[in-house]
Amino acid sequence: MTLIPEILAIYILDALFLFFATIAFILSLQIIKDWNFNATTKLQYSLEKKSYLGSTIIKYMFYVKLPLFLFFIFTLDKISFILPGAMCGAGVVNSNEYATVLLFLKLINIYLFAYWIVLDTQDMKQENQPYLKKKFMIFIPLYLLLVFEIALEYKTFSSINVKDVVDCCGAIFSTNDNTYLSKALSLPTWSLLGMFYINFILLVLSAVFKYRYIFATLNLLFILISLLSLVAFFGTYIYELPTHHCPFCMLQHEYNYIGYFLYGVLFIGTFNGLVVGFIRFNARELSKRLRVSLLFNFIYVAVVTLYPLIYYLRNGVWL
Amino acid sequence: MIKLNNISKIYEKNVVALDNVSLWFKEGELVVLKGVSGSGKSTILSLIAGLVKPTTGEVLVDEKKISKIPDHFVSQYRQKNIGFIFQKYNLISSLNVSENILLPLVPLNLKRSECKRRLESVLKQFSIEDKRDTLVKNLSGGEQQRTAIARASINSPKIILADEPTANLDEKLSLEFIKILKDLKSQNKTIIVATHDPLFFNLDFVDRTIEVNNGKIIS
Repeated sequence: MTLIPEILAIYILDALFLFFATIAFILSLQIIKDWNFNATTKLQYSLEKKSYLGSTIIKYMFYVKLPLFLFFIFTLDKISFILPGAMCGAGVVNSNEYATVLLFLKLINIYLFAYWIVLDTQDMKQENQPYLKKKFMIFIPLYLLLVFEIALEYKTFSSINVKDVVDCCGAIFSTNDNTYLSKALSLPTWSLLGMFYINFILLVLSAVFKYRYIFATLNLLFILISLLSLVAFFGTYIYELPTHHCPFCMLQHEYNYIGYFLYGVLFIGTFNGLVVGFIRFNARELSKRLRVSLLFNFIYVAVVTLYPLIYYLRNGVWL
Repeated sequence: MIKLNNISKIYEKNVVALDNVSLWFKEGELVVLKGVSGSGKSTILSLIAGLVKPTTGEVLVDEKKISKIPDHFVSQYRQKNIGFIFQKYNLISSLNVSENILLPLVPLNLKRSECKRRLESVLKQFSIEDKRDTLVKNLSGGEQQRTAIARASINSPKIILADEPTANLDEKLSLEFIKILKDLKSQNKTIIVATHDPLFFNLDFVDRTIEVNNGKIIS
């Protein structure tokens, strides 16, 4: 087991999450079982107080989880310095069978927690709290996913053996293997870029016409296509190396931590886009969400597009 | 119309403040709640103001179930509808009279001119114009009382709740306060006064007197 201070900090926070999430989980079960907004009984008034407590716990967990995800990525990067063969977080993620699942689970949980926060905000805006039971029902699977994530996190870090030699990102994200990832990274540039920009244009059109379900679906696609095109194409311009397809190296100091900015912007843009498909906002709030989503997705598109353009203007060639 | 339906309020350590009480107050009515200390009068006022929630039962103000709505909506309700005069006035001693009176307007983001207009109006109404810049800790009991009433009135609330308003006043100042109450009633405000001061029990402009004892309505 590798116990560097960062991992210890994550373990301590995980223990706190587990403790508070379990309290919220028990409160959720009570609320789901007995909530009746119109009742004026002692039980109902007590549940109303408990619902505030539950909401507060879940909200604060998310507020800590969000920066903690960045800290998790930073920790993976830091472990790569002591893991033979690893050049960045990618080597650490590939060092055991749990880390990749953990990374995706963390991403899914952040989107789900953020959805919960938006649902809670909408619920608190109305006097009769129409989403109250629903939001606590949604927390049940969210809690189970969180417990799974914490268990997986423990398993991931405890399985890292600093004596094992691991692959570096160059080997993991190679286009020469016969894996699905290699095949995806080998897609023709024109088709990849076509999908990327057409997806964005369709996003703009669906926002203009306020087709909220289409907009949400296109945002889901946009996450996948953006990440693929970033690793397969735009990333090579960030690294200025045509063979380097790594989603982690761009999080390092050498590349001005641009990865944190790109992933952050992509998260805000796509999250606001996805959420309109799940919650029926009023017209004003819907417009606001659509605008925020488009703005952040546009910033993402603009920044990744600038990399190849600047490279071409400076060097007169494409990679 | 204010209605309390089957209200019970039990505080920590099983202290029963109200036991299955049902009450109503009509618009524009002046009602005196009388009873000894600890009888449950203040709890009734706090429930109407939405400062506390009942253990069971419901509080309705103009058909709105204020005991059921979330806390941040209760604050809005209180801001628009309630003027509360506390026994110890609850003024901020480091602020002057005008600043204390203006406090309820802060969250409303009104124009400066509107705030000034309302301030001048209540300063005049409660005869404290000449004390506007005096720190409240330097005021007499009666002046502090009038400042508290001015603060409770600046939002033009429909309901005025007064909790033992004359407990710290001598008889002369208490009679002055009663005069102010009469003025407020003439403005069609619903006024509920919780007191055990005998001065209130035989006033001709009081519509009803309700006696509370041990958390129950006696008469």
